[in-house]
This record gives sequence, structure tokens and C-alpha cells, in this order.
Amino acid sequence: MSAVLEIDGVHTYYGKSHILHGVSLKVEEGELVALLGRNGAGKTTTMRSVMSLTPPKAGSVKLFGRDLTRASPHKIAVSGVGYVPEGRKIFGHMSVHENLQVPPEISGPWNIETVYELFPRLYERRASKGGRLSGGEQEMLAIARALLLNPKLLILDEPSQGLAPVIVQEVMRTIARMKKEGMSVLLVEQNAMLALQLADRAYVLADGEMVYSGDAATLKADKARMESLAGVSHAA
Amino acid sequence: MYSAFNGLIVGIFYALMALGLSLILGLNGVINFAHGTFMALGGYLAFTIEPYVGFWGSLILAPFGAVVLGLLVERILIRPLYGRDPLFSLLLTFGLAMIMEDLIRTIWGSVGQPFALPNYLNTPLSASLFFLTGYRLVLIAITILVTGALFAVLRYTRIGIRIRAGNADLETISAMGVNIFFLRAANFGIGIFLAGLAGILAAGQLGLSPSIGSSLIMPSFVAIIVGGVGSLIGSVLGGLIIGIASGITAAFFPVAQEVVIYVIMAVVLVLRPRGLLGQEGLFE
Ligand SMILES: Nc1ncnc2c1ncn2[C@@H]1O[C@H](COP(=O)(O)OP(=O)(O)OP(=O)(O)O)[C@@H](O)[C@H]1O
Ligand SMILES: [Mg+2]
Repeated sequence: MSAVLEIDGVHTYYGKSHILHGVSLKVEEGELVALLGRNGAGKTTTMRSVMSLTPPKAGSVKLFGRDLTRASPHKIAVSGVGYVPEGRKIFGHMSVHENLQVPPEISGPWNIETVYELFPRLYERRASKGGRLSGGEQEMLAIARALLLNPKLLILDEPSQGLAPVIVQEVMRTIARMKKEGMSVLLVEQNAMLALQLADRAYVLADGEMVYSGDAATLKADKARMESLAGVSHAA
Repeated sequence: MYSAFNGLIVGIFYALMALGLSLILGLNGVINFAHGTFMALGGYLAFTIEPYVGFWGSLILAPFGAVVLGLLVERILIRPLYGRDPLFSLLLTFGLAMIMEDLIRTIWGSVGQPFALPNYLNTPLSASLFFLTGYRLVLIAITILVTGALFAVLRYTRIGIRIRAGNADLETISAMGVNIFFLRAANFGIGIFLAGLAGILAAGQLGLSPSIGSSLIMPSFVAIIVGGVGSLIGSVLGGLIIGIASGITAAFFPVAQEVVIYVIMAVVLVLRPRGLLGQEGLFE
């Protein structure tokens, strides 16, 4: 197996505040990896470091065997990373169909037609403004937008945030399907139980440092750790 | 009627300038004080090549000349300032405007130059329509055509859709795989194209002088504020409104023809601080 993503000793700052203190993480080909942690642990910052939206000051980010630390975000994306950002970041003043025309289409199984087949609801709402969609529809749109790049690695930052349980299950089924079709997935969640249903392996971040890495099943069985993670996920 | 029409013509120049300024402010985040000198440059380039390629040839070619220089400026001087305090690019373009204006003086002389129009364009259509020349009709037609084309590009093409998306959230489009360096350059180029075109059209109407750009740029900023920052249609509307208002004032109370622009701005800002079409969402 070869790593699709390898983060090594990453230090990231927002201005002068030091957020990530030497974070390392690996996603092997075909794996679904969960990145867990409480509110403010640094999960989103880790994703932003990978995408180079907040480029790390030290450490390295390797994607598909290439060092892409601090490369332009668009180069990272077209190298094969589909990014579903926290809060979805839909273009609210543009229609669903226009939202889907933003990413470049990279050839592969996913194109505008096939993502409409995957999410028929988006096809029905293709003329609606992104800002008018429900949270679940926005999540689908954000996933569809990422799939258009035909990524080898899909990164999702809290896809369950603010969604009704039925919708969450649907989103999780979609993620499971992507894994089955051979995509590697990095799933960021505050809701540990949910992410561990799907994950092969898991990492736990706390205050910008990795405090656990290992089997998803082992983590699930670790009552103390799960409780400390669950405490916030229900509050959130 | 006659003075309102004169004002409309000047308003068209403001509108074209404000449109480009708005585009560049939106996606590039740059208050382009050099916009006026790119406009002047368009006019002077047309003046220089007109003897060889004729009026129509210069009308088509000169804006692209301005675009080439604009793209160089964007790539070499402005790009390193993206993401920094907007004050940097403001100061840069302010200085650039002075340098370019002096260059224009050096190359083409500081006295004004007449811009020769074909005779058939320069004669009034009829005695009762003495203010309406063929040139003015051409000017209006070209402006409608170009503005219409711009809005169609923004609405229907991928690059236009990306420009709109990038106006709202540049970071996210880059994470979606859009090359924002290219997109910002293209957008800057479109803005400069509009400035260059305005310069040629204005040259045929007002004649050329090195300061033609700097005299038109302040009203163009006012047009953006009146129309509403962030709204392209607002910029066009704002330009036309202040042009017409200043044209009418020129007929009845000539000393106030420039002041009236700022009076309108003040009134709009008091009654509707976001401008006429501001905040209604971009491009709506
Ligand atoms: N733009 C920013 N500027 C300064 N500090 C920030 C910024 N964004 C996040 N932070 C801080 O960085 C730390 C990590 O934030 P991050 O968003 O990465 O956490 P998270 O694990 O994604 O949390 P959540 O589960 O709430 O999304 C927090 O302390 C947060 O306050
Ligand atoms: Mg987060």
C-alpha cells in the first residue's frame, strides 16, 4: 500500500497564534480515515494546511507521493483532492448548476450529469440559488462539487454539522459508496461515533497535537477516550 | 434635452470606467488608481495607429494594446500585493498613475491632440438633431454591445461564473481547483479592456490630453459609490446618472457642473448609504 496523503510534523499558525504543533497523519490508498477531536482542537486547521489555504510554517504535506507543501491550493486540488469545506461554502448567490460549473472538470466517472444522477435532488433544484437550499442539499452540492474533480482523495470537514439524522445517514452512505468505489477518504468529525462507523483508522487531535492514532475499532472500544470525545459532540 | 444628451455621452465614459474599476475591485481587491491612465493610453495608442489601420482598426486594436500593458503591470507589480493590506495596491496604482501620465506626456507631448474621426461620423444627422452625430450613435451602440457581451460572459461562461464565485469567496474557488492567478489576471485584463475602449471613444469625442484619464477617474469612483459597491449594474447606472446630471447642470449653472457629482454622492450616501443597487447581491 502507498500513502495518498502523508502529513509530517506540521506546524501551522494564524498570524502569531501557533495552532498545530507538529501534526502527523497518513491516509493509505483506499482507506477511510477519521480525524476526531473536540471543538477548536485544530481539525479544520489541519485540513487547511493540507489544502494550503493556511500553509504550514514547518513540516511537510505529501500527496500521492509528491511533496505539495505550500503549493497553490488549485494545484493541490487538481492533483486529485476533492475538498468539502467546513460549513460547505456554497456560492449562495449562484444557482446549483452554476455552483457545479466552478470546478474544472477532470475526466473520469464523475461529471455534471453523473453527479446529478447521484443526487437527483440537486437536479430538481438545479435552478435554485445555493443559498436557498436546505443544509442537506447544500452538503450534497458541496460533495458533488468536489467529485467533479474526480479526486483520488476526498476530504470532508464535518459533513454532518447541523443536519437532521436521516440526512446524516444519507451523507454517510454516500461517503461509504465513494470508499467502495476506491476513493481514499479523510473524514473530519466532532461526532466520533458517527465517523467510527465507517472508518478503518482514526486519529484524535487535542489542542493542536495528535493524541491518538490507531484502529477505529480499538478507539471505539476505549470507553474513557470515547467519553471525552462524545462529551462535546452531543453538545455541539 | 440637448444638455442631458451631452451628459449621457460623458456618463457612458464614466460607466465604462466604473464597470472596469468595479470588476477589478471585486475580484482583485485592488482600487485601481491607474485605471484612468490605462484609459488615456487606449486613446493615445488609437491615435498613433489610426493613420495605419483607420478609425475602425484602431477601435478594435488599441484596447488590446492597453490590455497587454495591463497584464504586464498585473503580473509584475500587482500580483505580489494580493492578500496584503489593500493600502499597498492603492499606493502602488496611485504612483503608477503618475508615472504613466508623465510617460504619456513624454511620448505624445503635454498639449492635447485632436483625434481625427472619419467625416461621415462627425457630421450631425440633421439640423434639428444637431447634437446627434453618427459618432455618438456608434459610441452608444458599441457601449451597449460591449456591456451586453460582458454581462453575458459573466452569466453564461465558465470564466464568468468563476469570476462571480471568486468575488464571493476566492479561497473556496481555489480549493475547488480554479487557478485564481489566471482568473485574477483575466479579470484585470477585462477591466483594462473597458478602460482602453473608453479612452478611444472619449478621444473621438473630447480630444486627447495626458490628463484625460485623471479627470475622468474621480467621477468614475463616485459612480461606483452612487451605484453601490459590488453591483456592476449599479456602476453603469451610477455613471449614467452623474454624467446626465452634470450635463444638465453645465447648461444652466456651468460652474457647478463638477460639484453636482459630489452633491449627488453625498445625497445618496445620506439617504441610502449602500448606494442605489448595493447589497442586492452581485450582478443581479
Ligand atoms: N482564522 C483564525 N484566526 C485565528 N485563530 C483561529 C482561526 N481559525 C481558527 N482559529 C483557532 O484555531 C484553533 C483550532 O481551530 P480549528 O477550526 O482548526 O478547530 P476544529 O478542530 O476544526 O474545531 P471545530 O470542531 O469547532 O470545527 C481554535 O482555537 C480556533 O480558535
Ligand atoms: Mg472545524
